[in-house]
Parts: sequence; structure tokens; C-alpha cells
Amino acid sequence: MANKNYQYCVAECWGKGFITNNDSSQFSISGFPGNVWQVPANNRNANIWINGIAGVRKTVQEAQAIVTEQVQIAQAAYDALPADDFRKTQFSRPNDIVLPE
Amino acid sequence: MSTYYQIFGGKVNVVSADPSNPIEGQIWYNTTTELLKYRAIAPAAWASGGNMGTARNELGGAGTQTAGLGFGGYAAPSSKNNTEEYDGSAWTAGGNLAIARYGLVGAGTQTAGLGFGGYTTGSGNRNSTEEYDGSAWTAGGNMGTARVYLAGCGTQTSALGFGGTASFPTPVNPTEEYDGSTWTAGGNLNTARYGLGGAGTQTVGLAFGGTTTTFVSNTEEYDGSAWTAGGNMNTARRQFGEAGTQTLALAFGGTTGANTAATEEYNGTSWTTSTSMTTARKYLGGCGTQTAGLGFAGITTANSVATEEYTGAITPVTRTVTAS
Repeated sequence: MANKNYQYCVAECWGKGFITNNDSSQFSISGFPGNVWQVPANNRNANIWINGIAGVRKTVQEAQAIVTEQVQIAQAAYDALPADDFRKTQFSRPNDIVLPE
Repeated sequence: MSTYYQIFGGKVNVVSADPSNPIEGQIWYNTTTELLKYRAIAPAAWASGGNMGTARNELGGAGTQTAGLGFGGYAAPSSKNNTEEYDGSAWTAGGNLAIARYGLVGAGTQTAGLGFGGYTTGSGNRNSTEEYDGSAWTAGGNMGTARVYLAGCGTQTSALGFGGTASFPTPVNPTEEYDGSTWTAGGNLNTARYGLGGAGTQTVGLAFGGTTTTFVSNTEEYDGSAWTAGGNMNTARRQFGEAGTQTLALAFGGTTGANTAATEEYNGTSWTTSTSMTTARKYLGGCGTQTAGLGFAGITTANSVATEEYTGAITPVTRTVTAS
């Protein structure tokens, strides 16, 4: 089985203290739509962080499904705008997001 | 395999308590905690701040990381007039803008803020200016050119506004200078663009990034009368957050066609890529300095309330060596 570079969890960012400077400087944290968070796999500090925020661990497939659902909602909202809507001329259609393993 | 002794010619200090004032590069083993530790310069980092009360995008920002101001913006179906004040931990409601608008510029401080330009749903581009005193907004002088997606910098009584679009999607290049009551023409940007960033002061200003017909990376520096070329950004983008001065600027987030989390620092000559934001987003608000920046709200796939605080790579910290 191939090694995974990332692990995923779902947690709602409550604000101050959710990600600290210490967290951010010790390992990479990336947020995605649907309150999905990506951190390095097999990383002690990342595991501590997930536990600390009460993150619900997800497989990459499960995380991808959550992100894709949110992207599709945003794309549908964009597509529903009239073609001449001022907003539609300024915003690009939300891009698909593919989560790496 | 080389040992620490072979490389450095000495052994790791074994101590029962962490040294009170370690220097950069110092390493020691603490027998009490049974941890191997070292002193290092912390890399730049983004940390989460308090969530805003109103999710929105394309808002104005002013102030500092611990005394920030976010105002205006857009949340479907219309422009917003809400103001929120940040104290370094939490956002609280301030006085509302008289004119709801998005794509405006913020300048100044939390208690002496300035908002100008922008676009109001159903009314179009704005040339009006509003001044904030820490609790309420009052009308200031009108700009010569009504526009949206412009950039600016400076203070409530000495501000600079430049670029933007007066008729979307055609960019404009006029610069205007504000003295606390009246806007007058300054030197034009060399590259007309909208969705750009601004930093600095009225006489030592900085313009960077944005869109002409494509995303651009070029930087221009203002001396109070004319713009000259500076170093190019590494990531061409628009609708990003910004902070700092002409020689210590910060750019973060925005769109390159897709949302980006990329962060860059400017030193007066060139841009250097720094630690990325945790969440890629565009149309966010920003304020602060290069070493203590603040990014808030914006769009991921939906409007966000999230705040992120940037700390530049300046603070030495003690770290523990772990096997991971």
C-alpha cells in the first residue's frame, strides 16, 4: 500500500486558538470547504493537534466527498446567476478541488 | 554516521532545567522533562484568530493585528454596511457605514479609519469617502473618479487611492491624494489595473499585483508624485489581502484563477515567498504590518468568517526535538 502524505479531519474553526503559531510553524495545516483540514500523515504534532481540536478523522475519499459537495453547491449558485449579472462577470466559477493522498 | 560531537566539537549540554535565556542554535537535554530541546528562529506562521460576526467578502480593512477594523463588503444579495472591530482575540460590532459598499479601500487605524470608493448594489461605483472615529462614520470629501477594486494606503488625514475600475472590466490608473477633506490628483500608475494591493503612506506608497486583462505581478513604488517600478511578485494574483509599508509589505491570499493561500513579503526591492495561509481564499480583508498581519473574511467556496493572524519569522522559540 502506498504511503500517504496527508491525513484529513473535520472540525469547525472556533476562532482564536484553533490553530496557534506553534502549530502552524511545526507542521502544515490547510483548510478546505466543509471544515475539512489537511495535515501531514504520520506526524506526532499533527496528531496532537487533531485530538486537541476534537477533529473527526476522515479518509481522503470521505474528505473529498465533503469538499466536492461544497464546491458543487457553490458552482450551482454561480451557474444560477443571470449571464449579465454584474457579480457573474467578476467572479470566476468555483474550481473543482482534488485532495491529494 | 557523524555524531554531534564530531560535527560541533562538543557535547550536548545536560541540564535539569531549561536555560533562562538560550541563544539561537543552542541545544540541550533536559533531564527533568527528558526532552532534547533547541533554540531556533520560528518560521513565519499563520494562526487562527477570532471569527467575524458577519461572513462576507470584498470588505475594507484598516488598523493593526490587535486593533483591526473590517467594514463593508458583500454577502448575497447585496452590499454590506457593517463594521467590526478586532482586539486581537475577538470581533465586536462598530458603527455602520453610511453607504453600504464592497470593493472599497480601507486606510488608517481602528479609531481613525478611512473608507473610500467601492460599489453599491443597485447604485454602481462610488466616489464617496467616510471617516471613522472609533464609533461612527461621517462623510469626507469625494474622489474625482468613482471606482471599485482600487487600492489605497496611508492615514485618515493623509491617504492615497489608486487604480481600480471605473467601468468593469477596464482598469484605470489615476492616483488621488487625500488630505483629510479633499482629494487631489497625484501621479498615474504606470500600469492601470484593478484588484491590486496597496501599502505604505501617501508619500511612500506601494502598488502590487492586480489585473489588467490578465493577472499581473508587477510592483510600483510611489514617492509622493510619481510611480516607479519595483520587484515583481512571485505569484501574479488579484483580490488579495495586504499590509505593511513600501519597504516591508505583505501580500496574502487572492485568486490566480483559483483561490490561493500564497503569502509574500516585500523588502523594498524584491518579493519572497513565505508561509502560506491555512485556508486559500480571495476577496479577503487585510491590515497590520509585515510581521504582524491580519487576514479576515473573503471567499473559499462560500463567504467566510475566519480570521488568520500572521507572525513573521522574527521571534526565537524553544523547540523540542521529536521523532516523527
